[in-house]
Order: sequence, then C-alpha cells, then structure tokens
Amino acid sequence: MTVYLVRRLLTLIPVLAVVVTVVFLLIHLIPGDPVSVMLGPDATPAQIDATRQALGLDRPLHEQLVKFYARVLRGDLGQSYFLDRPVVTALLERAEPTMVLTFSALLVAILIGVPSGIIAAAYPGSLWDRTLMLGALLGVCVPGFWLSLNFIYLFAVRLGWLPAAGYASIFADPVAALRYMVLPAVSLGFNQSALIARISRSCMLEALQQDYIRTARAKGLSTGVVTWVHAFRNALVPVVTVIGITMAILIGGAVVTEIVFNIPGLGRLIISAVLRRDYPVVQGVILVTATAYVLINLAVDAVYVLIDPRIRYE
Amino acid sequence: MSMRPHRRAVLLGVASLVLVAGSVLTVEAQKKGGILKVGNLGEPPALDAHWTTASITEMLTNHVYEGLYSLDNGNRPIPMLAESHTVSKDGLVYTFKLRQGVKFHNGKEMTSEDVVASLARWGKQSIYGKALFAQVADWKAVDKYTVEMKLKEKSAIVLISLAVPNNFGAIYPKEIAEKFAPEVKATEWIGTGPFKLAEWKPDQYIRMVRFDDYKSRNEKPNGYGGGKTAYLDEVRFQPVPEVATRVAQVETGELDFADDLNLDAYDRLKKNPNLRPIVTKPYYWLVAVLNKKEGLMTNQKLRQAWQAAIDIEPIMKNVAGGHTEFYRMDSSLVPPEIAAWHTKLSGLPWNEHNKDKVKRLLQEAGYKKEPIRFMTTQEYKWMYDFALLTKQQLEDVGFTIDLQVVDWATLVKRRNNSKEYDAFTTGIGAFYDPTHPVFLTPSWPGWTTDEDILKLQAELARETDPKKRMALWEQQTRQFYEKVPVIRYGDLFGLRAIRNTTKGFNEKTERIRFYNVWVEK
Repeated sequence: MTVYLVRRLLTLIPVLAVVVTVVFLLIHLIPGDPVSVMLGPDATPAQIDATRQALGLDRPLHEQLVKFYARVLRGDLGQSYFLDRPVVTALLERAEPTMVLTFSALLVAILIGVPSGIIAAAYPGSLWDRTLMLGALLGVCVPGFWLSLNFIYLFAVRLGWLPAAGYASIFADPVAALRYMVLPAVSLGFNQSALIARISRSCMLEALQQDYIRTARAKGLSTGVVTWVHAFRNALVPVVTVIGITMAILIGGAVVTEIVFNIPGLGRLIISAVLRRDYPVVQGVILVTATAYVLINLAVDAVYVLIDPRIRYE
Repeated sequence: MSMRPHRRAVLLGVASLVLVAGSVLTVEAQKKGGILKVGNLGEPPALDAHWTTASITEMLTNHVYEGLYSLDNGNRPIPMLAESHTVSKDGLVYTFKLRQGVKFHNGKEMTSEDVVASLARWGKQSIYGKALFAQVADWKAVDKYTVEMKLKEKSAIVLISLAVPNNFGAIYPKEIAEKFAPEVKATEWIGTGPFKLAEWKPDQYIRMVRFDDYKSRNEKPNGYGGGKTAYLDEVRFQPVPEVATRVAQVETGELDFADDLNLDAYDRLKKNPNLRPIVTKPYYWLVAVLNKKEGLMTNQKLRQAWQAAIDIEPIMKNVAGGHTEFYRMDSSLVPPEIAAWHTKLSGLPWNEHNKDKVKRLLQEAGYKKEPIRFMTTQEYKWMYDFALLTKQQLEDVGFTIDLQVVDWATLVKRRNNSKEYDAFTTGIGAFYDPTHPVFLTPSWPGWTTDEDILKLQAELARETDPKKRMALWEQQTRQFYEKVPVIRYGDLFGLRAIRNTTKGFNEKTERIRFYNVWVEK
C-alpha cells in the first residue's frame, strides 16, 4: 500500500509538468492581451508596447516558458498583473472560501444524494423511487445559474430570510458565515446530489440482487438491516468515486456559484483571470486544481481499501 | 398699508431665526458616520490614476487623489488643489499658486515639488498628460507654493487637461511619483482626497476611510469639485460581477448603492419603495469604429454608405430594452450635459436610412459584397445588441457583414492590429474638450489620419478664444459626418440604484462620487 501511494505521488510530477506546459501555451496562444485590458479603452499602442516591455510580455514565448519553469521550481508562481500581489498569496486568500463552499455543498449533496438513491433502490418502481429520481433528474437538468438566481430572489429578496450574496470567514464570524453559505451550498449541493443519487440507486439495485442479500433476507433480517448493513457497504465503492470526483471538481472552483453568490473563491479568481488574461494567476489556479485532483483521486483509492477489504494494492 | 417699523423688525427677527434654525437642521441632517456599501462591476486594473484610462480606476481614485483642477456642474475647469493661476500676456507662461496647508494621507504637506514630480510622471503616461506636455517647454517649481508651466506655443488645453477626471493629473507625494516609472503602475496610494485607502482585498472590497485632516475648499460642492466633506466613516466598494446579484443586493439593503445595472431591472427597481433607480447621463454614445489604415473601410464612400444606411432609433430602442428613458437621438459629438461643446447643427447626414443614397454610394465605392469584418463582444450586452442589429440593417441594403464575436480581452488586443478587422464596436464616454476625442487621433485604433481632421484638431488645441473654438468645433463636426472616421449612433444611458437611506448623492455627474454623501439608518 505504502509503495503504491509513493508511486502514485511520484506520478504527480509528470502530470503537473504536462498540465502546466499545456496551460501556459494555451493561455498565451489564445488571442487577447492583459496590457490592453489593464491600460483601459483609450490607451494608445505606444503605451501598450511600453507596458508589455515592462512586464516582460514582449519576450519570445519559449523564453517566458523557461523563466516560468525556473520560478515554479523555486516555489514562486509569479506576480499577478492585476492584483498587485504574488499568485501564491492570491491563491491562499481564495482557498478558504472555496474549501468552505466545497465541503458545505458536498455535505448537502451527500445528505440528499445517498439516502435518495438508497431509498429509491430499496423500493424500485414505487412512488418514492419515481419522485426521488425525478428530483435527481431535475438536479441534473436545472442550470445552476438559474437555480441560484431563483434562490436569491425567493429567500433573500422576497422573504428576506438570508443574505443574497457575500462571504464571511468562518473563523471571524461563524454565524454570519453560515448565513452566507446556506443558499450557495444548497443550490450547488442540489445540483451535485443528482449524480450521487443516481449512482447510489444503480449500485444499490445491483447489490440488492446479489446472492448474499437473498441469504440475508432468508435468515429473516429486516429490510433496514439488509439495506444499510449488507447492501450499502458493498454499493459504496462507486459512490465514493463519484463523491471524490465531485469534490475535485468543486475545489477547482464552483465557478457559477461563486460568481452568482459573490464568493471570493478560486472559481471566481480563475474566471476573472482568464477574461483579463492574467496569465500567472490562470497558471497558478490550474496548478493547484490539478494537484488537488490527483491527490483526491489518490485519497479515494486509499478509502477503497477501508471500505472493501478485498481490494489490495500490490 | 405699511407695516410699523418695530413689527417689521420682529417679523424679520422671527424669519431670521427660522432660517438659522432651518440651516442648523440641515447641517444636523448631514450626519457623520456610517459605512456605505457600493456594488460595482469588478476590480480595477490599478489604483494609479496616471496609469490607466479604465473608468473604474477613475471612479475609485477620484476619492483618494485630487488634481490641480476639477470640473464644475457644467463640466468647466475649476481650481481644486490650485488656489489660482495667472497667464502671461503672450499666453505662454502659466503660473499656478497652490493651496497651503493641504496634507497628504501620510501627514506630509503638499508643496510644489510634489506637483512638479506628479505632473511630470502624468505627462509621460496619461493620454491627457501626454497631449498637454507635448506643448510644454519647461515645468518647474518657483517656490514652495508656486509652479510654472512654460509652453512652446499658445494652448487652449492647459486647464481642461488638468481638470479631466479620467486618467487624471492626480498629485502624489514626490517620493511616490519618482519611485514608480510612468509605465510601471504605482502600488502605493497616498493622495490628498477626502478618503484614504485603508484596505484592498481583491474580489472582496476596497475600503476607503475618512481622512480626518482633509482640507476642503470653502466653496459649495460644485460638480466634481468645490467643497468636499467626507461624512461617511467608510466607503466600501464591493465588486459584484453578476449584475442580477447587484440588483438583488441593493433590493435587500446589503448594498446602499449599485452601479452599472442592466436596463431590464429598471421596472423592478422602480416598484421598490426603499430605493430609487437613477438614469445615468451621459453614459456612452454607441460607435462603430472603422479601420482607416487598411482594408475595405479605407474607402470613404463605403463609410458614408454605412452611415447613410442605418436607422438608428430602432437600434437604440432595442439596445435600451424598449425603454425610451435610456436613449437619446442626438447627432452632436458632445452630449448636452457638456453644454460648452454641445452642437445643434442642422442638415447633418446622420440617421438618414436612405436606401437610394446607400445604393449610389456603394456603386461609387466599387463595393462587390466583400465581407466586412465587424468585431464585437457579448461581455457588454449593448455592444453585441447594436452590432447584431447593424448587421441586419446593413445586409438589407447590400452589405455583407462578417460579425465576429470575441471576448473583450481579444477585442482590445485585435483592434490594435489593422490587418485583423474592418470595424469594431465600443462606446464613447463624455469628453470635456474638442481636443480629447480619441477617435479623431492617428494613434488610436481605427487610425484617423485624415489631414483635414488633424489640421482642425491642431487648430483647436492652439486657439484660445472660446467663440472661435466653438466655430472650429462646429466645422469639425460637419467634417466628421463627411469623412466618417467612425459611425455615430445614439446616446445610451446607464442605470444605477440608490437606497433611500443614502443622502446627498450628486446624480448629475457622469461617474459616481461619495464625498458629501451621508447615510440615515
């Protein structure tokens, strides 16, 4: 197991090297210029050229790439063109909101998705099954943007129960943080719960048709014990995979949710960085996201062993 | 019947007391304290006023910094950090007396050496500074509170250039002005304004707090200038990129003020008794900038055909979401809000939508339906909308339009390359002097190099007699519609919303300012 984990960690290096290079090339090759955006609509080409020179953007691409590699190896992701601070600082500032949103939304998604899937599978074809799967279908189909705006209109503007948007640090003011996080976490969690519910249902259905379940039922065990103790654990491996993937996606930034609810997280950071062509920030966020993706997948693989003792990594 | 003297005296006394009491009440009404939360579109690229023309930088930095001059209600120059000025008889030497006792946010007194260093930097980077300093032969401090500007030739643009609020001649402490080269943005923000920068957390807020040692002018508030009082403890500018969220937040009271709203929110905002929508005038006139350096639009007949073809009112109405309050049909290149340069000329070939004329001009141009590359962006909905409607109207009369929709960063990059387009969309904001429109310069994208236009612009820069200048400007306006460097559509207005608890806001200025504003909560 340890050897396996170390080997997987080592594969992180080539993965990140490829990701970083591809992202660097892509962001530099697409049209657009950070300097023209920074200097404003009335800037003249001469001004733009002078500032490009000051930022080193007039240098050949391969030269900029080599400098970028050298900086990354020193742990320096560069300086944001727009934010007047190092990229690492900008990333650290955004990490807390994104992590809080990720875990809250994931919690909502699991709390909705897993029980829905299990109940639906326990009573296939019933009204419960149909209602819950219709809910899951809606979760997949309804755009997060639309859902978020309607949540804001209903719960903030019309009813005044919760703030429309914003963020408070959980360490500074936990009550305010909770109030700000309810709507984004529920709207994002509802969207993400759909996949978890559908996967849970199909895995549970498969598990419930196994011979050992029939044996358990023949022994006279109750439906609850059969479902939750015997079937659930065996159905859990694919569900954990989906939860892991969902988490990795959310850490990369729940872009739409962060923008609509004005949460200063990584998703909002990368969108504004792409629109303004803030190259160092785009590269930094992608690097962090890719690392998180690989590490979460690794953690999911490790969790498999805990769930299912039959799984062994040699 | 005449009143007895003592009764008259008593009445006068009572009236005076009422007036005094009234004024005291008014003063009391303007209470100090509170935090004002302002929702705006996004983050500024810099808080260095010299460095960028971005309007968000203009709005923010004008709370922190001041220039020698500012603009009054009629958008004419009035002194701000300058006390007064004199001009030599030959018009070549401007001597500025500075106000004394004005302090920077770091406690240092502003003196002539700060002014000289700041404007020298501004003159190398700002579009207005560069235009002015191209005419300057010598710029120096005479004594602690006096600076002198010697010109190479007579100039009409000295005061107005020092007064424009965009990309403006903000006075920084000498140490900062000299520390940052003009092409490098300053990242230390010390000014003399009524608010000082307390904290900038990108994507969260920019916090400005009252500068208690601010020395206001004695005059009443006047446009962007005059007396300024920071009643608020703090102004918190919060970037809220999603416009629907900005609307919701001002409705719920999470924001006290929301800027740059979508026009379709107008009806909803009007119904809310807790706030007031504000129509922003002037905002932009819509424009299709034509590439006159190379390609199809170098052909003047083709440019005239485009101008003759478009039916502007339906385009404007559509862009304004059907609200007539949000557009204005006007051919003047300067909006009526800048009364000094607004023209009322008749017979201009504007909004003609004359099919016969278009047909004749296309024939004379030798146009054979080659596709015209017209760049626009969906990041600004109004740009995309008017480009789309323009395409339909032009294709109805024989043009072929290749509408290229790109993101804003791509558009502003590509518009600098004359090989990549024939026309692009943008908006022209208010300009305060006839020498300021960038679309009449050879360096700005679109490249207006027409000798007659440039000659008149040079004359406008030299001529100091206001009447003669106006005559020249009218001549330039007629020439504009003949040479068609860009296509002028109608005036579009913007939308803001303000909570009823926010008092004293000046709705007449193009850009928002929060000095002289207080909150009642």
